[in-house]
Amino acid sequence: MTDYLEPLLVSLKTVTVTTAVTFFLGIAAARWMARYEGRFKSLIDGLFILPLVLPPTVVGYILLLVFGVNGPIGKTLLALGEKIVFSWEATVIAATVMAFPIMYMTAKGAFEQVEPNIEAAARTLGAGEWRVFWTVTLPLAKAGVIAATVLAFARSLGEFGATLMLAGNIAGKTQTIPIAIYFAIQAGDMDKAMVLCIIVLAISFVSLAAIAYWKGMAAKMKPVKVS
Amino acid sequence: MLKIEAKKELPGFSLDVRLTAESGILAILGPSGSGKTMTLQSVAGLMKPDEGYVEVNGRVLFDSKNKINLPVQKRKVGFVFQHYALFPHLNVWDNIAYGLKDTPKDEIRAKIKQLLENMNIDGLEGRFPRQLSAGQQQRVAIARALAPEPDVLLLDEPFSALDPVLKERLELELMDLQNVFGGSILFVTHDLNEGYKLGSNVAVYHSGAIIQHDTKENVFSHPVNRDVAKMTGMRNLIEGVITGIDGKNITVDVPSWGESLRVVSDRAANYFLNQEIILGIRPEYISLTDKPGENTLAAAVSHKMEGIASSNYRLRIKSDTSEKRYLEAVISKSSAGPLPEDSDCYLHLHPELLVIMAE
Repeated sequence: MTDYLEPLLVSLKTVTVTTAVTFFLGIAAARWMARYEGRFKSLIDGLFILPLVLPPTVVGYILLLVFGVNGPIGKTLLALGEKIVFSWEATVIAATVMAFPIMYMTAKGAFEQVEPNIEAAARTLGAGEWRVFWTVTLPLAKAGVIAATVLAFARSLGEFGATLMLAGNIAGKTQTIPIAIYFAIQAGDMDKAMVLCIIVLAISFVSLAAIAYWKGMAAKMKPVKVS
Repeated sequence: MLKIEAKKELPGFSLDVRLTAESGILAILGPSGSGKTMTLQSVAGLMKPDEGYVEVNGRVLFDSKNKINLPVQKRKVGFVFQHYALFPHLNVWDNIAYGLKDTPKDEIRAKIKQLLENMNIDGLEGRFPRQLSAGQQQRVAIARALAPEPDVLLLDEPFSALDPVLKERLELELMDLQNVFGGSILFVTHDLNEGYKLGSNVAVYHSGAIIQHDTKENVFSHPVNRDVAKMTGMRNLIEGVITGIDGKNITVDVPSWGESLRVVSDRAANYFLNQEIILGIRPEYISLTDKPGENTLAAAVSHKMEGIASSNYRLRIKSDTSEKRYLEAVISKSSAGPLPEDSDCYLHLHPELLVIMAE
């Protein structure tokens, strides 16, 4: 039983934290870049999306360089008594880096769709940037932000390559479901792999259905057009 | 009282304007892309001019020399956007209440009720913007802008999305708005009639500059130059030379027609003998007559487009030295019989309706 429960718990923990972190980071970056018109726009945009186009192993390698005991961040953290590589936190870091671009891109698209004059109207009515964002931009970009979150959730649930390189395969600690499936198949344990696959299918399906239901409820709450 | 000075350099466009407005309505008239909206944006703080000065009722909102640049939120400027920019996710009540954040609840309620009544939209407070007609949306947008009691109200092409009947009704309502709102109202339009009907003063824009800023009577009857004349619908312009000035009567020779015309102008003193000038007349001011006489030209109908109450004619003056020059005339059906294409006629250019421009 722990064969299944452990990867499931690791995955759930990682995915929850990753989705939350990605949600805020992605939205902050997207909001900033959606209205940013500086000269480094393409450069920053490219940098944010880079993990999406790179092979996960390349991202994993770069993360090892950065967070490894000789890397710039890894060294600092080690001095503070934290070792990132092969820790649970590493699964979150790897999954966040891989899920961020998709959260960022989708949310940015949604923010860009918000009519700039509507935000400007809020400002002329005395609303500061923070209030404009929470009361106008975010509600108007809600559908896109939900879609972005679902995609980020899915991406972090499926994360494999970078996680394996940075966090390794430690049962009960860093072994997420995708990694457990891979090693089950390597070991010839097809039954275990199948059960884990079914668990992933169930999580994905339940989450998607929940969001579809939520969206449907939101649509029903809106009054219909009276002519 | 509103003072605006704004300079802004953009690739391919430069804005350099200077405006003043008392209470009442100032119409900013000009073609699209002439900098009208940018002017409103610099008042509201939605755009920062490279150089400039904005003052409303003695309060300085922007002063590039003294590095004053109040944020949009602090400017107390009511802005009605071109397509109203209502908050689509909020109902009418919440739209209007948006600018009343720091007001006590019961005061908000009283204020919104008053605005709903003033703008003739009571009963709609529970509706969402997409459930409103264009006219209702406009009223909500104005109510929302007025709610925080701004010092100045800016309207960007408020009537561009409306059908003609509704437009006329809302134009009248905008006139009435002056009774409930005491500050300056600036409104941007590219529609001559709208500018004339609504503005007590008019500023005529042309590629980023103001070419005339005056009372509407002066702008429309005494355009300073041919650009203003064209912009204000005076489509017939021809070069002439002043050959005589006698009191208010000016004699103008038009070489292209080989004709001499009498013009009555109360600004005759501004002109001198042998001065080369531009003579203009609105298409609507040309009338038909059946015999030759003073200020009367023999013409032939070249094109005709019939309208409901009046018809547009393109007429060739018979004595014209150019084959390709036409006069445009809009002639009311009640004043003239049918005038088919290729027929001959006499045009009368009334001395009081001809306008002289120095350039």
